[in-house]
Amino acid sequence: MKKGKGIMTVTIGLVCFVLAYVMFMQFKTVEETNITQIENMRETELSEKLASWKEKYEETALKLQETNTKLQEYKQKRESNQEASELLNQELMQAQTIAGLTNVRGDGIVITYTDNGNSEIDKITYLQLIELVNELRLAGAEAISINDQRIMNMSDIINIDIEGEEFILVNKKRVTSPYVIKAIGDQKYLESALTTKTIGFVTRHSNAILEKRNNITINKYNGEIKIKYATEVVKEEK
Amino acid sequence: MKSKKKQIAITLGIMCLLLVYAIFTQLKTTQNLASTAGSTYRENGLRDEVLKWKEQYDRIYADLENAEEQLEKERQVSISYDDTSVQKQEELKKINTYLGLTDVEGEGIIITLRDNTTSLISSANNLVHDGDLRAVVNELKNNGAEAISINDQRIVPTTAITCAGTVIQVNDEIVGSPFVIKAIGDKNMINNVMRSGGWLDLLTDYGISVEVKKSDNIKINKYNGVLTDKYIETIE
Repeated sequence: MKKGKGIMTVTIGLVCFVLAYVMFMQFKTVEETNITQIENMRETELSEKLASWKEKYEETALKLQETNTKLQEYKQKRESNQEASELLNQELMQAQTIAGLTNVRGDGIVITYTDNGNSEIDKITYLQLIELVNELRLAGAEAISINDQRIMNMSDIINIDIEGEEFILVNKKRVTSPYVIKAIGDQKYLESALTTKTIGFVTRHSNAILEKRNNITINKYNGEIKIKYATEVVKEEK
Repeated sequence: MKSKKKQIAITLGIMCLLLVYAIFTQLKTTQNLASTAGSTYRENGLRDEVLKWKEQYDRIYADLENAEEQLEKERQVSISYDDTSVQKQEELKKINTYLGLTDVEGEGIIITLRDNTTSLISSANNLVHDGDLRAVVNELKNNGAEAISINDQRIVPTTAITCAGTVIQVNDEIVGSPFVIKAIGDKNMINNVMRSGGWLDLLTDYGISVEVKKSDNIKINKYNGVLTDKYIETIE
C-alpha cells in the first residue's frame, strides 16, 4: 500500500510537471507569435516591399557597374601616364546633375496647381506644396521645380505673412499661383502615382491638373551649395 | 480515510480539468494568431522572397561601398598634383555631402518627438504624423541645416516621408516614436526652430513631447541607397 502510494505520487508529480512544461511552451509560442505578428505584413504590403527591394537592388547593381567602370578608367589612365582630369570632370558633372546644379531635360509630368477663387481660405498653402513635392519624390522624380525654382535636397518651402498678406517662398524666392510644378522621371509611374484612386495628390485636388509631357526642361538652382558646419567623417584605415 | 481519498481525487480531478482547459485555450489562441497573422502559403513565400532580396541588396550595397572606397583612393593617386583637379575633387565631395552620400559630423541640434501616450482621450492629435515630420524637416532646411536624419534615415533629394495605415516611412523604411531628428548646421537655429508659433510649439500644444537640444558634435550617417540620373540629361 505504501509503495503504491509512492508510485502514484511520483506519477502524478511527473504528469503535473509535463503539463506545466507544455503550458510554458505554449505561452512562449504565443509570445513569439505576437512578436512576429507585429512584423507580419499583409500580402499587398509584402508585394510592395518586394518590388521596392528589387528596384533598389537593380539601381545599386547599375551603380556598382558604373563605379567599377570608372575605377578601371582611372587605373588605365594612370598606367599609361595620361591625364585623369577628364574623368574627374565627368564625375563632377554627374554629381552636379543629380544635385540640381545643371539645366536638365527629360520626359515627365507638369502639374498646374491654381488657387480656387479669391477667398483666403481657398488659397493653396505652403504645406500643400510640400506634400506635392513629397509625393513626386515618392514616385521617383529625379528633378523637380516649382515656378522655375529648382527643388534641391535642402530647398525650403515656407509661408510668410507681410501685413496680413500671405506669401509662399521657395528657395527664399516668392512664388505665386498658378504654381507650375515640373517633374522628370519615369513618366508612367509619376502619372499613376499622382492619380491613384482616392489617395493621389491630383485625384484629391480638383484644382491640380496633370499633363504628361516629353522633353521637359528644368533649370538649375540659382545659387550655391554651402557646406560650413558638416565635415566628412573619415573612415579609419584598417 | 475514504473521504480523504475522495478529497484527493476531486482535487486532482479539478486540477487536471483546469490544466486541460488552459492548454486548450492556449492552443486556440495560437491557432487564431496563426490564422490572423495570415501565414498562408503565398504570404510565406512572399516573405521569403522579400528577405532574400533584402539580403541580396545588402550584399551588393556592401560591394558598392567597397568599390566607392577604391575609386576614391584611385582618384586621389591619379590626380593628386594638379591644383584645379584638387579643387574639383573638393567640389565633388562637397556636393556628395550636400546630397547625403557621406557620413558627416558637426554642431547642430537634436529634436526628439514622442507620441503622447499619457492622454486619457485617444485622439489623432496625440500622435506625430508624417505631415509633422515633413514640416519640421522643412523648418530645419529653412534654418540652413546641411545634413538631416530622422531615426538614422538620411534626408536625400529622393526622400519621401509617408504614412501607410498607422506606420510612418522615411526612405521606404519604417520609423516610429520616438522620432529623433538630427540636424547639422548653426546650432543657434534652435531659437528659431523653437519660436512660439513654430511647428514644434504647435506640437507641444497638442501634447506631443518635444525635446530639443544643442550639440557640438552630432554624427549623421550617409544614405543607405543610391541616387540615380536615369531620366535626366544635362543640357547647356
